[in-house]
This record gives sequence, C-alpha cells and structure tokens, in this order.
Amino acid sequence: MSQKPLRGLRIVDLTHVWAGPLGTRMLGDLGADIVKVEAPLARGPALSPPGGVGVFAGGEPGTEPWNRQSVTIKLNRSKRGICIDLKSTHGKDTLLELVRVADVVIENFSAQAMNNLGLGFEVLSDVNPQIIYVAMPGFGSYGPYSGLAAFGPSVEPMTGVGALLGYSKDQPRNSAMALVDAVAGVSAAAAVVTAVNRCRETGRGAKVELSLHEAGVSLFGEFLVDYQLGAQHTPIGNAHPRYAPHGIYPTLGEDQWIAIACPDQACWIALRDEARLWTDVEQFDEPSHRLAHRPALDKKLSEWTREQNKHELQQRLQAAGIPAGAVNTAPDVLEDAHLKERGYWVDQALNGQPTVRYPGLAIKLNQKERSVGRPAPKFGEHNREVLQEWLGSTTADVDELIAQGVLLDRPPG
Amino acid sequence: MTTRVLEIGGLAAGFCGRLYRHAGADVVRVDHAVPDAWVSERALDVFLHEGKRRVGSADATLIRQLAEHADVLIAEGTPQSLAALGWYELSSPAIRVAITPFGLTGPYKDWQATGSVLLAMGGYSYLMGDPDQAPLNLPGHYVQYQSGQHAYVAACALQYEGEGNQTADVSMWEVVLSLSQFTTVMWTSNGQIRQRHGSDFGLLYPISMFPCADGWFHVNVVPAFWSAFTHMLGMPELEVDSRFAQSSDRVLNRDLLEQIIRERLGRKTRAEIMRLGEEARVPTGILLELHEVLADEHLAVRDFWQDVGGVRCPKLAYRIIDR
Repeated sequence: MSQKPLRGLRIVDLTHVWAGPLGTRMLGDLGADIVKVEAPLARGPALSPPGGVGVFAGGEPGTEPWNRQSVTIKLNRSKRGICIDLKSTHGKDTLLELVRVADVVIENFSAQAMNNLGLGFEVLSDVNPQIIYVAMPGFGSYGPYSGLAAFGPSVEPMTGVGALLGYSKDQPRNSAMALVDAVAGVSAAAAVVTAVNRCRETGRGAKVELSLHEAGVSLFGEFLVDYQLGAQHTPIGNAHPRYAPHGIYPTLGEDQWIAIACPDQACWIALRDEARLWTDVEQFDEPSHRLAHRPALDKKLSEWTREQNKHELQQRLQAAGIPAGAVNTAPDVLEDAHLKERGYWVDQALNGQPTVRYPGLAIKLNQKERSVGRPAPKFGEHNREVLQEWLGSTTADVDELIAQGVLLDRPPG
Repeated sequence: MTTRVLEIGGLAAGFCGRLYRHAGADVVRVDHAVPDAWVSERALDVFLHEGKRRVGSADATLIRQLAEHADVLIAEGTPQSLAALGWYELSSPAIRVAITPFGLTGPYKDWQATGSVLLAMGGYSYLMGDPDQAPLNLPGHYVQYQSGQHAYVAACALQYEGEGNQTADVSMWEVVLSLSQFTTVMWTSNGQIRQRHGSDFGLLYPISMFPCADGWFHVNVVPAFWSAFTHMLGMPELEVDSRFAQSSDRVLNRDLLEQIIRERLGRKTRAEIMRLGEEARVPTGILLELHEVLADEHLAVRDFWQDVGGVRCPKLAYRIIDR
C-alpha cells in the first residue's frame, strides 16, 4: 500500500497530449489513484500508430508500437490505464459508474467536447455531487476565443511572453517547447489539490476551469503589472534589465555555452577576480556602468569563456560563489553526478522492453529516497483490474463489455 | 478553518504564498534576501504579495515563534541560509517545505543559481533560440514560479494526508528537468540531441511563428491539421502535393513551405489571420504586446483581472466554481 500523501484520492484522467498528463503524473507520483481513460484511437491505429517525437522506448517499435511511445511512457507513470469507447452508450455508462466512485475527473479536450459526448459537468455532478471536475480547454469554456482550436505553442504568443522572449524587438521567438503546457500542467495539479481540500471542508463538488491561455498570462503577469506602473519591457536576448553581466557565453567546443549571472556586487567582484580580464576595473566595478556598457562587458567575458570547458568553468565559478551553469543537453543531465546522488531519475521498463531513464518528480518527501508509482500502463492494461476494484464488476461483466467492443486492450485498425 | 501559512524567502515562496492567499489562507511573509527580480519591487508587491502580512525580520528566534503558530511553512533559500534560519531544528509547523536551487542534499547543494542558470542547466536554454545564435533564456521568473507551484502542490498534498510532521524538499533545478518536453526521451530513445530551431518546433512543420502585416502570428499544424491548414492558406491542392503530403515531406521541404506561408499570409493582418485560423479550425495565435494582453476582450469577458490598488493584476490560472 502506498504511503504517499494523496493515497486514496481517486482520479479519472481523460487528459491527453502534454499539459493534462503532466499534471496527473504529478498527482500520481504523490500517491493518487489515477485511472487514465483512453479512447480507442488515443495511441493511433494498431497498424500505423503515429511515431511521434521521442518515438519508441529503446528505439524500436516492437510488436506493440502503441505501447512503446516514449513520450506516452514518460508522462503516464503512476497511473493505471483503461480504454473505453465513450461514443458508445455502454461506454458512457461505464465512465459514469467510475465517476460515481471517484473524487476528481480531469480532461483537456476542446471546450465543448465533453458536453458533446453528453458528459458535461452537470451530468457528472448529477451522478456524483461531490465530484471535482477539472476542464482544461485552451482558452476556457466561454469567452470570444473559447471556440478556437488551441495548442500550447499557438497560445503562447497571446499570453504576453511573446512580447518578452527573443533576441530583440525585431527578433521575437516562441519558446518552441510548448511552454504554457508545462505551466498549465503544474497549475492543474495545484488546482486539484486546492479543490479536494476545499471539498473536504464544504462537502460540495466543484467545477475547476483552467485555460492554457490564462495559465500563461498568470505566470508572466508581473510584467503586465510592471507595464501599468510605467516600465517598458521588450525582448533583450539574454540580458537582465537590472544588472550585468547576465548572459549565455560561448565555451570550448561546437555549440557549447555557459550561463553566468552576477546579481550582486559580491558576485561581480568574484567574477572579476576569477577572470582577471579587466585593466579598467574601477569603471566596471560600478553596477550602472556595467549595465550601460553591457555589450562591451559581454564581449570581454566571451573572449575568456570561449577558451574553457563549460563543465570545468561551471565548477570553478560555483566554487567562487558565482551563479553559473553549463547550457546542458540531454546526455549532460543524464550523466550528472548530483542528480544521480539525489535519486532524481526514474528507470522504467514495461513488460519485455528495455529499461529507459525518465525525469522524476521534483518533490522529495521527508528526505527519503524518491519512489514514483508503477510504470506507464500498456494500452487498456487495467481494464479488468479497475472495473473489478472500483465498480465491483464480475469477470462476466467485464467480458461482456470487451465482447461489445466497449473496452479495448488493442487499438483498432 | 483558515490555513496559516508562514512564507520565508524570495520569489518561489512568494508565488506559493500567492496560491495559498487565493485559496483563502492567512499568509505571513518574511522577506529573506533581496530577490533577483526582473520587475520593480512595487510590481512584485502587487503580483505576489497582495493580501499577505509582512514581517521585516528573518531572525531565527522570531521564525521559530511564528512557525509555532503556523500550519504550513514554505521556506526558500540555499540549504546554508535555511540552516541559519533554524530550518533543521524546527519541529513545527507540521508541514514544512523547503525550496532550494539544487535541493537540500547532493554535491551541488550549496551552489548559487539564478533562474537563467537553472534554465541552462535544466536543458531549456539549449533548445530555445536560433541555431546560429546563442541559446536564449526565458525572461522573468518561470523557474521560481513553477517551483512555487510545486511547493504548493507538495504542501497541499501533505495537508490532504493530514498526518503531521512532514517535510518536502523542492529542488528548482529538478523542477526544470521534470518539465522538459522531449529533451531526454529523444536522447534515450533515439540517441538524438534535440536542437534549437528558432521559433520552429523542429520536429514537425509548420509549427512556428511568422511575420505578417502588423506583427507576428503562430500556427500549430500537427499532422491532423494539415488538410485544414491548406484551406487556411487558400491552397487545398497542397494537401496531396507530393512535396508536402506527408509530415516528413513538410519537414524536408520546410523552406519552400515557409515561403508559401509568407506569401499567402504575410501581407494579412493579425486579425485577418486569426479569423482565417478560426474558420479553418487551425490552432492559430498572434503575438500580443503587453498593452494588448491587458486590453484583450476575451480576458475581460472572463473576468480575469483583479484590481489591486488601481492596477490590473492577473488572477490565478484556475478558478474553482462550487457546485
């Protein structure tokens, strides 16, 4: 039995892609009993499942490629999985039965999808008045944009971060990594724990509305506040608006870099002494002078950094008390000694598959070794287990649903 | 019963306290070290600290006394600075969450970091920006605020459990790593190091940002939207054009497709492009300046802003509507 804090919390997880599964993974890692409900084609048709990005764990599709998509595995550990055809009457009924005994339902479909399936909040809360229903449409369930198709990357420039990120005002950039999905995912976990604690006090269920758009605006909202107070913010590359140096500097090797920042005078003095590059030290010792002559400062610093190995320089600058970090790639972080010692990574191997290392949970409880939950479910792996455990279904009941095509353990096609 | 939260530290603890404040908690903040902020102190006060009470001293005795009357303690700093505050001797409150740059343990535990350093070390920076320029960092306090959210989730989970005397260790570096998208799996699965591609997503095309008559727009054309996008371009024939028909073709012929997109949409306004995207059901966004976000009709209709002393401040990412 899990001794994690959210043990006993039952969550029906209808999420897909990134933001939703990320949020429920956090909750699952913290012990919630997550049942991931997938549509028959959620992982693509059996004969030609989408390879996607990251592609297959171990690099090979194997005989069940839909069970080896590495992004799916990464995002869905600590969950059990069932596959229900929600377009069928029996499928809807089965879902409603699960909702009746659950604490939370969470989905990140488009705004009207659940209503169109006949599974909107009113229907679910009639079945279970204490249910917490979390909806995560791109722009929310109402408002002028609510009908727009939305993915994290297309929402991102509308949040304000687009006015801030880039090399200059003429060279804005998208993060190219679906930033608002990551914000919304963690926000969803925060919303769930808030709502369930509140429900314990009030005894009432609730609808939680979380839009990707508002998640992004909220996280970067301090710039909107600052703008109203008279500040001007535009993309300024890797500079910091209030101090220098602050940037990403080249190091030895092709496309190798290090981030260095001197947020206070002590850091500057340490860097200056470490680098020994300045003959006109007194001038640069003045913070406002450094800020005013940032390009010259960065140029000088780059001349020094580009002759050095990024990891060695990171060590050296940190030893001198200077915030500095190598611009890491995946192999860099996977080999890092600190992360290994802290037991950060999660090694997973689904049945018969090679062991692959995935990012862990960034929360360590009670200084114990970290443990996350079970590996990501194979498609429909827990159809029988969940229905029997949550609903008390008999073997014959489940067999009937399988025979009707309501429950699947292999994608069609 | 109102939760009493003692918040010590900089930006991450401040964001955690903000979430607690919006949830109705009584939050007392102890300012501990000057934050490495991108915005003015007044902006931080409005954004992070509205409704909190502030204590000006981080004296360890005072911290212990305040902690005895709290339900939750959120403390941010380095392990060394937290030790100076008496962190390791505290036995109350029952729930204590530490937010540190690299965690409470491990070889780097006493290292210094800013948000930019953590983004670099966490693999974000390498992926952002142009291949022929330096990697880019995110502006602002993404790392700190996502760490604050993690601390909040941890504390609320421990409150849910209700068993008392629990601690959580939130490493800001690990927060960044846990929010990577394909960074590690591309390496562990394919042996590929993900590269940066400007505003391109890089793995599929077109998922990118383009200039237009009055600014910039973004389209997110995953394979399922290719057909719709050809209609948005007014060139349905491209759907079966052998240069673009398959997803891999579009990546291969990226430059040609970019040229077509610029020709067909580059002279239109952002409003026209949004309308085309809506009609075609293609995920489309436009780059909004800060004043445009503040004036956005959608956010106004959704009652997204709260007034804090005459300043519009965003509410939270989520809203909870009781049944």
